Amino acid sequence: MDEKIISRVDLMKICKDVIDKGNTLLTPGAADYYVVKDISDIILDTSALPSKISHKSYVFPRTEPVLYYKRSKNDVQLIDINIDSKKIVILGAKPCDANSINIMKHLFNWDHSDEFFNKRANNFMVIGLMCSHFDEYCFCTSVRSSPVSEKGSDLFLIPVDINNYALKIITEKGKEFISPYSGYLKPGDEKNSKLITENVRQPEAAFDSSEVYEWLGENFESPKWEGVGNLCLSCAQCAFVCSVCHCFDITDEDYSYTEGRRMKNWDGCQFGNFTLHASGHNPRDIQSKRYRQRVNHKFRYYVDRFGEILCTGCGRCSRGCPVSIDIKEIVSNCNDNQKEFLK
Amino acid sequence: MNELIKHAKELLEKGEVAAVIGYRQVSEKRTKPVIITEPEETRALVFNEYCLNNLAVYLTKARIKLLGRKNNKSFKLAITAKPCDVHSIVALIQENQIDRDKIHIISFNCHGVVKDFGFDFNGDNLSSKCITCETHKPLYYDKLLGEVKETPQARDSALERIKEIERMPHNERFEFFRSEFDKCIKCYACRAVCPLCYCQRCITDKTIPCWIETSSHQRGNFAWNVIRAFHLSGRCTGCGECDRVCPADIPLSLINRKMTIEANNLFSFVSGRSLETPTLVGSFNEKDNDELFM
Amino acid sequence: MDKQNWEPKIVAFVCNWCTYTGADLAGTSRLKYPANCKLIRVMCSGSIDPVFILKAFERGADGVLVSGCHPNDCHYNAGNFHARRRWDFFHKLLDFIGIEKGRLQFSWISASEGKKFADVITKVTEDIKAMGQFTSYKKMNSEFTVDFPADLAELEEPVLQESFDKETVK
Repeated sequence: MDEKIISRVDLMKICKDVIDKGNTLLTPGAADYYVVKDISDIILDTSALPSKISHKSYVFPRTEPVLYYKRSKNDVQLIDINIDSKKIVILGAKPCDANSINIMKHLFNWDHSDEFFNKRANNFMVIGLMCSHFDEYCFCTSVRSSPVSEKGSDLFLIPVDINNYALKIITEKGKEFISPYSGYLKPGDEKNSKLITENVRQPEAAFDSSEVYEWLGENFESPKWEGVGNLCLSCAQCAFVCSVCHCFDITDEDYSYTEGRRMKNWDGCQFGNFTLHASGHNPRDIQSKRYRQRVNHKFRYYVDRFGEILCTGCGRCSRGCPVSIDIKEIVSNCNDNQKEFLK
Repeated sequence: MNELIKHAKELLEKGEVAAVIGYRQVSEKRTKPVIITEPEETRALVFNEYCLNNLAVYLTKARIKLLGRKNNKSFKLAITAKPCDVHSIVALIQENQIDRDKIHIISFNCHGVVKDFGFDFNGDNLSSKCITCETHKPLYYDKLLGEVKETPQARDSALERIKEIERMPHNERFEFFRSEFDKCIKCYACRAVCPLCYCQRCITDKTIPCWIETSSHQRGNFAWNVIRAFHLSGRCTGCGECDRVCPADIPLSLINRKMTIEANNLFSFVSGRSLETPTLVGSFNEKDNDELFM
Repeated sequence: MDKQNWEPKIVAFVCNWCTYTGADLAGTSRLKYPANCKLIRVMCSGSIDPVFILKAFERGADGVLVSGCHPNDCHYNAGNFHARRRWDFFHKLLDFIGIEKGRLQFSWISASEGKKFADVITKVTEDIKAMGQFTSYKKMNSEFTVDFPADLAELEEPVLQESFDKETVK
């Protein structure tokens, strides 16, 4: 792995160049990842909590047309969508967010390759930033990640002092991106950054994901689900702020009798009508079954299918939950028969 | 606090109620709802400035209603409610969603709550509903607990914002709300958390014909937020939960507040304040204002 | 379209028992009124959901008229009383979020008031003409739209017409 030193001033010069070339530069704010218009807005704070909403919508928009149609007497004609291939550079991605695109990639390339997702994902350039702060809801260390994880980043930044960052070049994509700017880079020493990353305060692992995997397999009918099912209010806040939740719904919208578009929208498994069949039957008719699905999907089904946990441990869902349901608390107490989910 | 626990325990032991809906502490500055059915579990119950949730939302949930039947006990449910949450309970009783006889209200002398979890309790962090609150003592209750304390003073910035919007020309107002609603991700947390959004099937879930587009584009978001606000006008009791839970920070209670002011101006009515007056949109008066009509 | 030739599009939701019959009377009396209003007959002013009105604005209406029986004349006794409270709120709400009051108008027209019907339609049309085109929704409507290629634009026969024809032939 290649490590360089770059000063903050030079890093900002690169950012300015990215914007000037007409590419999109994203950076996390308190509420959302936002598009940077002026480089003086960039904060690059290692001690910030994850934003309220993840950057997911830039690679998997909350709503997008997949085709347009026009009907005539005997025919339907379709117009395909061309996604503009603008490069998106995400600067200062939290280590928990950086890996999310890689996790979702499995799903979107499983039985069918989703060109919308893939085109956007290929245009993504992730510059990760070490994280030095956690709160009661963070649990990245429990899901095979850490505040200094380079997983998913193309380039990774570690602040060595106030004005300088150690820049690790992780992937070929990152190498390609940084090569025009090699004049800004100074040779670095891996020992220095290692000293910093080793001393970062990390959240204690709250649960063992393989134990959770086992438990979920054996406790599909556990009475524990009922407790959390009673509490949950069936909104999809948890799914929509999540950086890896990827369920979607297809719906047609018409302009007129003859013209319209087919939209692909976010959907959430906690909604009552998520699994409602046309017949009126609903296999997940009560909230406890829906919550069980959410946990199982994240910690069991996805592991079965792709070998990866569908969770980055950012804690957004718990932090923002209207009734403070904490997914970390639930999975870490699953083996403890004394503790019910709801208490 | 001991009084609350003692009272709740007594209720459950005597079998007077099937469950107690209350708050429990999860960390120093955060509580969460808890539904208690066993007397010994009542020790978790708390009430303080961090009890933000409006628990009245649980009263209309079919699963919770079933709790009593399942345990073969009485149907009554006990609920710990802030005085402002009692307004929601009153509105639900008025709209025939729950029965006064089946609800045991444990309420408190309230001196305000924080605007969100994690903040210190003082004037700057006071929830906006508490700034203009006139009911520090609940209007209806079966058990009153807690001591009377002074509410911190704060500026009513929400009203200032409403006035500010009203001064804008119409196209600017439209643009303001368009950009605010554009942030909406349609997670429907505002709907889920509202005690008065109790419809078994929401109008947005009815898609044949599709009146409110389910897509979260600007037009769909605009339609959803306008209709949500309309369905709550004259009914909203002003608990401000929608505002608190919105992950996109849309000022939803601004519109709700405005409609509450209008209801008060037009009909001298505030929702959830009295069990005797009928609901506003569910009733009519032949002598209502006719100015609007040609 | 240039400003002078522009004609407003107005959608009128009218109740079956009074206003629609009033419109009939206006027709049989050969009264003249502008042709900008598209009448949609509903069973009662109380059955008009505000989403209808929002949809009308979404789809490019410059104004909406809601009209029903006079108070105490409702075919269903109280439909218009309930509606009256609802409209009080809805028009205040629309005003607050930025749709001017004049865009949404209300009237009571009875079955015998053909003259009033013609007058109201004339007045509403003039009012909305004076306010000009309703452009606020333009920005929202332009999201995710596409210009269909020219070769597609030729196919314009409405599909609904076809099924209608078949049924009438039968």
